[in-house]
Amino acid sequence: MEYALSVKDLRVSFYTRRGVFKALNGVNLELRRGEVLGVAGESGSGKSTTGLAIMGLLPRNAKVSSGSVLFDGRDLLAPLTSIRKFSTGRNESAIRKLHRELAPIRGKRISMVFQEPMTSLNPVLQVGYQIAETLVIHNPSLLASRKLARVRATREDTTALLKVIKENEGSETAVREFVESRHLKGLEEQALFIWRRNDINELRKERLILDLCCEKVGSTTKRLLESLEGGMGITKAPVLSRLLRRVLFKEGYRKAVEFLSTLGVPNPEKVVQMYPHELSGGMRQRIVIAIALINNPDVVIMDEPTSAVDVTVQAQILELVKDLKRRVNSSFIFISHDLSVLGEVSDRIAIMYGGRVVEVGPKEIVLKAPRHPYTTMLINAIPTLDGREIRGIEGEAPDMRNPPPGCIFNNRCPFAMDKCRKEEPPSYKVSEDHYVACFLQGGK
Amino acid sequence: MLIAARNLTKFFELRGGLTGKGAVQAVSDVDVEVREGEIVGVVGESGSGKSTLGRLLLGLIAPTSGEVLFDIPEELLQKYDEARSANDKKTMEEIASKYSITRKSGRELRALRRRMNMMFQDPYSSLNPRWRVEDIIMEPMVSTGYLTGNEARKRVRELLEEVGLPREFAYRYPHELSGGQRQRVALARSISTLPSFLVLDEPTSALDVSAQAQILQLLKRIRERFRIGLLLITHNIAVVSYMSDRIYVMYAGKVVEGGPKTSIISKPQHPYTVALISAVPGNSRGPRVILRGEPPNLVDPPKGCHFHPRCPMVMDNCGWTAKEVAEELEFLLRGRYYGMLKEGSKVVPQGELEILVEGAKAEEVRKVIEEEKEEVKSLRSIYEVREGNGGALVKLMRYDIPGMYRTDEGREVSCLIYRKT
Ligand SMILES: Nc1ncnc2c1ncn2[C@@H]1O[C@H](COP(=O)(O)OP(=O)(O)OP(=O)(O)O)[C@@H](O)[C@H]1O
Ligand SMILES: Nc1ncnc2c1ncn2[C@@H]1O[C@H](COP(=O)(O)OP(=O)(O)O)[C@@H](O)[C@H]1O
Ligand code: SF4
Ligand code: SF4
Ligand SMILES: [Mg+2]
Ligand SMILES: [Mg+2]
Repeated sequence: MEYALSVKDLRVSFYTRRGVFKALNGVNLELRRGEVLGVAGESGSGKSTTGLAIMGLLPRNAKVSSGSVLFDGRDLLAPLTSIRKFSTGRNESAIRKLHRELAPIRGKRISMVFQEPMTSLNPVLQVGYQIAETLVIHNPSLLASRKLARVRATREDTTALLKVIKENEGSETAVREFVESRHLKGLEEQALFIWRRNDINELRKERLILDLCCEKVGSTTKRLLESLEGGMGITKAPVLSRLLRRVLFKEGYRKAVEFLSTLGVPNPEKVVQMYPHELSGGMRQRIVIAIALINNPDVVIMDEPTSAVDVTVQAQILELVKDLKRRVNSSFIFISHDLSVLGEVSDRIAIMYGGRVVEVGPKEIVLKAPRHPYTTMLINAIPTLDGREIRGIEGEAPDMRNPPPGCIFNNRCPFAMDKCRKEEPPSYKVSEDHYVACFLQGGK
Repeated sequence: MLIAARNLTKFFELRGGLTGKGAVQAVSDVDVEVREGEIVGVVGESGSGKSTLGRLLLGLIAPTSGEVLFDIPEELLQKYDEARSANDKKTMEEIASKYSITRKSGRELRALRRRMNMMFQDPYSSLNPRWRVEDIIMEPMVSTGYLTGNEARKRVRELLEEVGLPREFAYRYPHELSGGQRQRVALARSISTLPSFLVLDEPTSALDVSAQAQILQLLKRIRERFRIGLLLITHNIAVVSYMSDRIYVMYAGKVVEGGPKTSIISKPQHPYTVALISAVPGNSRGPRVILRGEPPNLVDPPKGCHFHPRCPMVMDNCGWTAKEVAEELEFLLRGRYYGMLKEGSKVVPQGELEILVEGAKAEEVRKVIEEEKEEVKSLRSIYEVREGNGGALVKLMRYDIPGMYRTDEGREVSCLIYRKT
């Protein structure tokens, strides 16, 4: 099977004044195409570090001692693992190199949503600007095509387009074919968005679609837009004139409005003009999700996206993620300390403890028939609505500066055997798709 | 009755208060009760007024109005309630002057401090980082004059044991403890004077589930052993469901439903409680209700029932005002009914219950309302549309404000659906 992304034997330590914390101790994870992979575990188990490593966003005191993140046939972490002798200086320059290499990928092919939306939004910029910005950086050719399509289209074109839409009841392929036959690429998503709106009447929709034509731009701007459309990356394009920037951002706002409306944001025309602090927590989180998804990335990492919002808003966002999974082609890694949240959205669930994945399998199996002692105890500790008795896990999580040898759970595990204190259990396949890193599952 | 709040209200004046900046209506007209040895859960979303209620009950902040009656005999409380229904201010005042915590002073108040205490959410900031565990736990015993220094020091060792920590922890500093251990210390401190009433504000929200489970079990044991009445504040419904005997559900500063835990969880009555319980992840009973929007701004909360803009069951008299209806009407007339509103015309609220649709014909507006009121519920509050000066004049019915209605088995619900006619 080909994976959207895979993490192999990832080991990361943090160098601090209080010692070296071994945060990840051989993490293996495979993300399948189109799935939502849930990642659960207590605080400090390495969930966020795994997400940050995939994004190449590790801080400079993080040493990647081994492992790889394979994406699209290459190892994203290669610049970091190639460091021989660790020093923050050497690490820093490697991280800078990594950032340069990942710049075209981050935000476009892999993107991340963080717990606290305020940290990823710029407080002094309109949210529409911030959504437009990711488009201008990563997908200027799309913006150029959209704009040029409206410049090139004649009233006759849009009249014919409207006819095609009506005759085919808004079929995407029919519209796409028509648009391509007339060299008006970029018009399809605009027209279909209008057609699918349900807050306006037919008459209004028809008007708006007919009006997707006959726009005017200056000849220089047009030439610049055409070179962008021709696939010239924004970095290679001639120094962007102010004018062109303005045109692209305006188009970005336009697409932002369309995209927000598909994310269930009411009154998106108004919302794009607002600043982050004017929005509620739930709305901000939707904006961050929009920024992460607008370039149609292959992989989206969501780190505790609902932990800072209220229960009823959490339910809205979980509903949105489920809906996105059906609609878009991205694959998701959804990190949460709350197993019941993961039960709502995931296809598979991975349980982390002490910087390792101790169990991974299909959602139902991990939740209903877990095989790793830690998973079982974790589930027994969660209060549920039926008010059943719960039990805490005795003992404390190990000090990651000096983790116990052997199985990382051995100081709290009621089944620990001699072997568990000497060897690290490998991951055993216990049934189709279900892997457990515990000696009880084999290798006696 | 250990503690009973009546018509308890707290408005926080915004800066510039009297000059018209308004106030945050954090708690409005709330009645709650906690009996000896009872665990009462308070659930609600962020900003619903839970912490403010807790601080009011302990007298840590002064109410804007209303009473907190402490240790009041059942007969007197009943008498107070009867006087309240009869609007007999004199009897109410007589009882309140004896039992209300806001009327106590000096020595009485110090004795009271010993009998009630609070434990906070954040195990990192609630403990003084420069004090050792021993000093932290001792402090309330000494400052309330409950025990002398030496007696208190001895008692610290017993308390540590009580909360499951080794005695040696007395000499540690907070930064040497994990989050769960800090909450144990905080608990030891808050039970040190053997209080009869304890407010726990999100005691486990900052903890992992495994540490949370330990603290919750510990709390249950402490309650048994010392017969403390606990008010457990949390946004986590499953935690409340595991812990409580009774529950209050708060929304936008009001208690919207109260009653025994089991019956509320299995058969919620208030539409907000229904949605809240159905939104608990992993809950598989019944269909999920996804509410639209978010809790309101409490400076200018919705009129009538505070929940009406999001309520899936909302009726015509639940609180719709001209501003809300005008907004939705305008949205329809500019979108779905494009063309009906002339260029430059507006939909203008006039006062609380009237709207002018400029330049429109009453007949046409009436049709739109008929067509849409199934879906756009605010339109149901319209009872008349007629030709007015310069357009169609839309009139809304006067809304009702829900009271607290008793339903079954000691339950009460603040929703007009349950109003007995
Ligand atoms: N000292 C204060 N001054 C002004 N407003 C306040 C003050 N304390 C609380 N508020 C406001 O009162 C309302 C209720 O706050 P409260 O802290 O009681 O909510 P809560 O239910 O405990 O929320 P959370 O779940 O976030 O802790 C909020 O709108 C809050 O901003
Ligand atoms: N920047 C950092 N510097 C030092 N230690 C860190 C840093 N980031 C994370 N850690 C440590 O790495 C471990 C894993 O943390 P994290 O990945 O954030 O866990 P989770 O997201 O599962 O809560 C923890 O022990 C944490 O304290
Ligand atoms: S390997 Fe040993 S210590 Fe680790 S979980 Fe399994 S039984 Fe417990
Ligand atoms: S009174 Fe009841 S029905 Fe009306 S809005 Fe409030 S909760 Fe909904
Ligand atoms: Mg994290
Ligand atoms: Mg609070």
